[in-house]
Amino acid sequence: MNYAVLCVPDFALRALRRSDPGLCGRAVALVEGDGRRARVTEASAEARGVAPGLAATLAMSRCPGITLRQRDPAAEVEAHRLLLAAAFTLSPRVESTRGGCCTVDLRGADPARTEALMRLTAAELAGAGLPARIGAGATPLLASYAAQCAEPVLVVRDPGGFLAPLPLAFAEPSPAQEEILRGWGIGTLGGLTALPKAEVGRRLGTDGVLLWERAAGEAARVLRLVEPARSFAAEWSYEPPVESIEPLFFKLRRFAERVALELRGAGFVAEKLSLTLLLEDETDHRREFRLPEPGADVEGWLRVLNAHLGTVRTDARVAGVRLVAAPARPPEKQDGLFDTGLRDPASFWENIARIAAIVGDDRVGTPAPVDTHRPDAFVLERPAEAVAPPADAPVHPPCGPTLRRFRPPWPVRVVCDAGSPARLEGGRLEGDVRAALGPWRSAGDWWKPQAWSVETWQVELARGGVYQIACAEGGWCVEGMLD
Amino acid sequence: MSAAVRSIDDALGGGLPAGRLTELVSAVPSGGGQTVVARLLAATQAARQRMALVDGSDGFAPEAVPACVLRHLVWVRCRAPEQAFAAADILVRDGNYAALVIDLRGCAERILRRTPASAWYRLQRAAEGGSVAVLVQTTSPIVPAVAWRLVLDTPLSLADAAAPREAVADRLIVRTERSREQAVESLAG
Repeated sequence: MNYAVLCVPDFALRALRRSDPGLCGRAVALVEGDGRRARVTEASAEARGVAPGLAATLAMSRCPGITLRQRDPAAEVEAHRLLLAAAFTLSPRVESTRGGCCTVDLRGADPARTEALMRLTAAELAGAGLPARIGAGATPLLASYAAQCAEPVLVVRDPGGFLAPLPLAFAEPSPAQEEILRGWGIGTLGGLTALPKAEVGRRLGTDGVLLWERAAGEAARVLRLVEPARSFAAEWSYEPPVESIEPLFFKLRRFAERVALELRGAGFVAEKLSLTLLLEDETDHRREFRLPEPGADVEGWLRVLNAHLGTVRTDARVAGVRLVAAPARPPEKQDGLFDTGLRDPASFWENIARIAAIVGDDRVGTPAPVDTHRPDAFVLERPAEAVAPPADAPVHPPCGPTLRRFRPPWPVRVVCDAGSPARLEGGRLEGDVRAALGPWRSAGDWWKPQAWSVETWQVELARGGVYQIACAEGGWCVEGMLD
Repeated sequence: MSAAVRSIDDALGGGLPAGRLTELVSAVPSGGGQTVVARLLAATQAARQRMALVDGSDGFAPEAVPACVLRHLVWVRCRAPEQAFAAADILVRDGNYAALVIDLRGCAERILRRTPASAWYRLQRAAEGGSVAVLVQTTSPIVPAVAWRLVLDTPLSLADAAAPREAVADRLIVRTERSREQAVESLAG
C-alpha cells in the first residue's frame, strides 16, 4: 500500500449541494449550456429517470419538481480544499490530481494504522457532506482503480486478483484498440494481461504496451505535490445578501469542518478564531474569540460562534462571511521534571518510518559508539523518546577540526619521505603534503578471522585542505576530510 | 537557535533563525562546515532539544564527536540527493526538532543544479511559521532566494589539530553573501 486516491463521484453536484442547504434531499441536476441546448451533466439519486446527456427540457418532464442548476466554481473550490485537507491528514505528500480527486504518497506509513485512518477520513468527509471513495494500492494507478470500486475504502493487497474481473474500460483503451480487443474476445483487464506483453506490443505497437501496463496497474508516475495550507481561513460571498442567521450557521459549519481538517493535517490546533461579517453597506462586523482550550474541535468552535451570532444585530444585510483560525502547536505532552519529551510523538515515529521507507531501515536512527577502536564503527539505534540532560564534559574533550568521512574511502597512492607521507598521487586527490601528523596505529580482533590493523595520518596539502589518510592491508586510502 | 560558533551567531544576529533556511557554503576544503555541525550538536544537546541531520553523501562520522552529544540526533544516511530532499521535506514539517541540517556537500553538483527551484521553495514554505531552524550545507551557492547565505572561505590547517574544538570553532571566519536585509533592500531599490 504505497499510494491512496481520494475521489468524490459526481463532484460538481456534491460540491453544490454541500454549499446550499436548500438542495438537501431534493432532486437536483447540473446542466451545461443554455436554452434548448442545455444538457444534464450530473444528476442526484433523487432525480429518477434523469441521466447525464439528457436534454434539460426532457429531464423536467421526466422528473417534475427537479431543480436544474449550473456548476458553482466557488463551491467546488471549497469542496476540493476540504478533500485536500483530508488527504493531508494521511500524509504530507499529496497531489491535487483534478477537481474532486487527489493522490497521496503513503510510502513508509504503517499499513494497519493508515487503513484505520482512511476509514476515519472517509467517515469524516461523509459527515461534512462530501462522501469520498478511498482506494489504496502499490501504484497511483492501482489506487485510482481501487477508488473507483471502493465503498468507501478499498485496499488492494492482491493486484492480480483485483484487476482480473475489471472491465477493459478501466484502462481507457482507444476506440480502435477496444474494437481489436473485442475481436480477440477480450473484455477484462485480466484477459488482456494474460497475453504476453511483448506479443501485445508486436501487434498493437507502443500504445498497446502502454495499454497492457495500464491494465496491469503498473504505470508509475511522479506525483506533482502540493503545499499544505499555510493560512487557515475561509470566506464566502452571499448573492443576494442574507438577512437571517441560518445561512450563516450552515456556512460556518462547513468552514469549520474544512479549517479544522487543514489544521490537523499541518499538525496545528486553533488558539483563536476571528469572525468577520461583511455587510452590504461595505462596513463589517469583526469579533475575535480566544478559545478556552486550543483545539480543532468543530462542535466546540461552533458553540462559541453560534453563541455570539445569536446576539448580533447589524444595520445592513450580510454580504459575506470570513472565518480565520490562528494556529498553535498542540500541547501534546507535559514534560517531566527531568525529561524533554516529544511534542508530537505520533508524528515523530510516523515520520521516522516514512524516512526509513525512503532510505532503508538501517539508514536512519541515532548513532551510538560500539566497544571497539575500529575506524568508522557505530550502530544506529532507535531514537530516544526524551532528550537527556547534558552529561558531564568528556575526560578527553574533542580537539581540532571535525572529521567528515568519504564512504567508501578514496584509494590513493602515497609517496613517503623518511617514513612520513610527502605526496598523494592518483585517485581523486593529488598534491604535495605540506605537513603531516602521525602515525596512529591501532589493531583489533586479532583472535578472529576478521582481524584488522590500520595506520592513520593527518596530512595538510600544499594547495589547502586537511585530510585523514590510512594504510591498511588493502593499501592507502583517504578516509575523509578534517573540516 | 545558537550555532555555538561565534562568527555565525554574530552574522545572523544571535543564531540560526527558526522557520527559515540558512545556507552555509563551504567554498574551500577544510572550511569548517563539519565543525559547525559538531558545535550545533553540542548546542542543541545543551538546550535539550532535538536535531536532525539529513546527510546527502553519508559523510557524518559519529566517532568525531563525543558520544554524549549524539543521543538527541536523528541521522538520515542518504544515498542520493533525491533521498535527501524527500527526507528533508518530511522532517521540516515535524514539530519535534529545533534544528535540521541538510548536508549536500559531497553530492554531485550537476544533480543539485538540476534540482528545480520549486523543490527549494517548497522547503522554504514548509519551514516558514514552524519552529525548526534549517541549515543547508553546500559547496557552492545553490539555494535560490535564501534568507541568509554565509560562506566559509578560510581553510583550517593542521596547526589547529591540537586546539580544543571550541577554539577551532571560534577561529572560523564567515562572510555574509546574502542576508534578509540585503534582499529587502534590493527589492526596494
